[in-house]
Amino acid sequence: MNATQPRLRALACSGFVALLLLALLSGQWWLGDLPGRMQFDARLAPPGVDHWLGTDALGRELWARTLAGLGLSFQVGFLAALLGSAIALGLALLATLSPRLDALVRLLIDTLLSVPHLILLLLIAFALGGGLQAVVIAVATTHWPGLARVLRAELFQLRTAPYIDISRALGKSRGFILLHHFLPHALPHCLVGALLLFPHAILHEAALTFLGVGLSPSQPAIGILLADAMRYLSGGYWWLGVFPGLGLLLMVLSIERIAHGLRRAL
Amino acid sequence: MLSPLRTLILGAAAGCLMIANPASAKEQLVLAIGGEPEQGFDPLLGWGQYGNPLFQSTLLSRRADLDLEPELATAWTLSDDQLTWTITLRDDARFSDGSALTANDVAYTFNAAAQAGGRADLSALKEATALDDHRVALTLHQPRITFVDQLVTLGIVPAASRENGHGEDYGRHPLGSGPYQLVEWQEGEQLIVKRNPYFYGQTPDFERLVFLFTGEDATLNAARTGGVDLAALPPALANALPSHMRAVTMQSVDNRGIMFPMQPAQGERAPSGALIGNDVTADIAIRRAINLALDRPTLVDVVLNGFGRPAFGPADGLPWSRRDEDIQAPDLEQANALLDAAGWQRQGDGLRHKQGQPARFRLTYPAGDSTRQLLAEVSAEMVRPLGIEMQPTGRHWDDIQRLALHQDAVVMGFGSHSPQEIYYLYHSQHAGNGFYNSGYYANPAVDHHLEAAQAAANTHAANRHWQAAQWDGETGYGVRGDASWAWMVNLAHVYAVDTCLDVGDLGVAPHGHGWPVTANLLEWRWTCD
Repeated sequence: MNATQPRLRALACSGFVALLLLALLSGQWWLGDLPGRMQFDARLAPPGVDHWLGTDALGRELWARTLAGLGLSFQVGFLAALLGSAIALGLALLATLSPRLDALVRLLIDTLLSVPHLILLLLIAFALGGGLQAVVIAVATTHWPGLARVLRAELFQLRTAPYIDISRALGKSRGFILLHHFLPHALPHCLVGALLLFPHAILHEAALTFLGVGLSPSQPAIGILLADAMRYLSGGYWWLGVFPGLGLLLMVLSIERIAHGLRRAL
Repeated sequence: MLSPLRTLILGAAAGCLMIANPASAKEQLVLAIGGEPEQGFDPLLGWGQYGNPLFQSTLLSRRADLDLEPELATAWTLSDDQLTWTITLRDDARFSDGSALTANDVAYTFNAAAQAGGRADLSALKEATALDDHRVALTLHQPRITFVDQLVTLGIVPAASRENGHGEDYGRHPLGSGPYQLVEWQEGEQLIVKRNPYFYGQTPDFERLVFLFTGEDATLNAARTGGVDLAALPPALANALPSHMRAVTMQSVDNRGIMFPMQPAQGERAPSGALIGNDVTADIAIRRAINLALDRPTLVDVVLNGFGRPAFGPADGLPWSRRDEDIQAPDLEQANALLDAAGWQRQGDGLRHKQGQPARFRLTYPAGDSTRQLLAEVSAEMVRPLGIEMQPTGRHWDDIQRLALHQDAVVMGFGSHSPQEIYYLYHSQHAGNGFYNSGYYANPAVDHHLEAAQAAANTHAANRHWQAAQWDGETGYGVRGDASWAWMVNLAHVYAVDTCLDVGDLGVAPHGHGWPVTANLLEWRWTCD
């Protein structure tokens, strides 16, 4: 029972997140142009029956914009986590090939870890001119070192395993060992790493967008909604910041929970 | 990222200023009006381009009703051939180091500004010559009626040949004959100035002025804590003022509109490398339909919170703009009929198409400007029912210049007390000249009217030509003619002002929120004990 509990918990969380994701992804389809539809006679309306989570300064429904924003955040998080994990896995595998390559990978990891990653993130996103692509690249290229270090350590431990020795003794090539032994072993770790990277990426997307170097101000990204809300908070329009913020918090917490559950289960 | 930290530091600094010097309320004013000049306070490089350069004096100035009045000049005449201005200077003008301001300084300023390539357009100036200590002659290459505006805007600097004369570092250490002199400038943070004891005019009421250079949030926070006496506000925040402040509006000709690329896209590039042309906006039917679809009063209401008025041209209400340019809009029926007649047909995607080209184009705006962003988003929504998709796209100014300026419709703003701006915006000679005429507008009839205006014998005659360039009954740059812009709104500049500060009659501001409010600084009074 004790062994199955973490798995059950992870499964329950996964179910919850799956539902959330279903709403977000299908929202792209059924929300249509609702997140951008303006109602000039219902500007800054508070939450109520007519406007569930209230409206913004142009009379756009906040619930639709929050959902659309979370959908965008998910997209960025997914792509950045995928790209970041792929870089980490690729470099960790490369490091196993020769001591020189390993030294190079370690140097890369140490260099990147020595620079505050928020500064690097801002610089990369700014240099790439902002937008979805820039945010994904900025987050992915600054967040692989942690995972790469874990994967490298795992693979180096594996190098001394008896079945790898046997494989080598049987004359298998380095490429064969890489693909058939190292890669399958590293993949589950990589999956957990990607899931842990996911909420991080979402938060960074929101931060970059909030600071003006992320997604376009015309997109209903969570960072944009929060930055807009800042301008109106002093006027007492609390709902503009509270609901998008809560949505972001819920999504990040849920995904983090799954990642932790999965790590324990594995 | 820095703004919350900066807010705290500047808020604390402003608070300390007030606490450390409690009796200074009448002696010192703290202003947060933005507009810190990147190149410093050098008139030769553009400082004071809209007049009232604070540290320097100009030859002439404008009253609140825009009429000219003497400043450094006591008399000014234009020769019959309109090629020579003769200016007589007052004899009591002194720089803030006590030395006298002479005709040599004026001649130096004009000759140096012509060579400096700053924002002051002195291309018409052939030579400035000091006739004696108090008279200077400005000779032009050709008649140019708008040259008088340079007499209003160009601050006079000390000649380079004299002690403390103009040099490379002048922008950081300005020396002039204006009402105030610089004490300290901490770039990106604050500017402190004090009275110029040698100023020839009325002594300002306030011994010291502190200008804080803060963002919107920091400005509002400082206003709440009583740290500033006057602050520029975005219209959306005008209703959220603390009790010790009131909102004061300054009418302006500071406008915002959509600049359309006028040429079809044929792969041509500007000298900057940016692509020129847009096949959709090059069609006059599209431009006119957009002009007809915009509900300008709603834009004023929604975007400017009511602080503004609808705009139909670049200089609404000024003598060189036609008064009959207002169109009945929104008129979607007429707009749709125009598009139908031009061959733009609706298709399954809801958009109009013509020869396979969908009626879709980017509407670019500077990403950090919330007013322009809202204008872009709301105007795109107003045009959508026509089957035209304007895609609001936020970019940094650098990217706008590099990528969008000549091929995207761009939300831009102008507004000047001089008709020279009309010349820059619509004369084909200025196509691709920076932000002026960035849509490559060219109409020989309009060029002809603009040139006739510049060569006119007097302002009244010139105004008739300026107006004809807008619409002469057959063509023009205005909405009834080529509709090269869709002008949307004229902003009213909003300031939060301490209830004890009487700022008098603020007049009409040109483009640029901030410094124009200081035009009548000498009239400001503190009304509390």
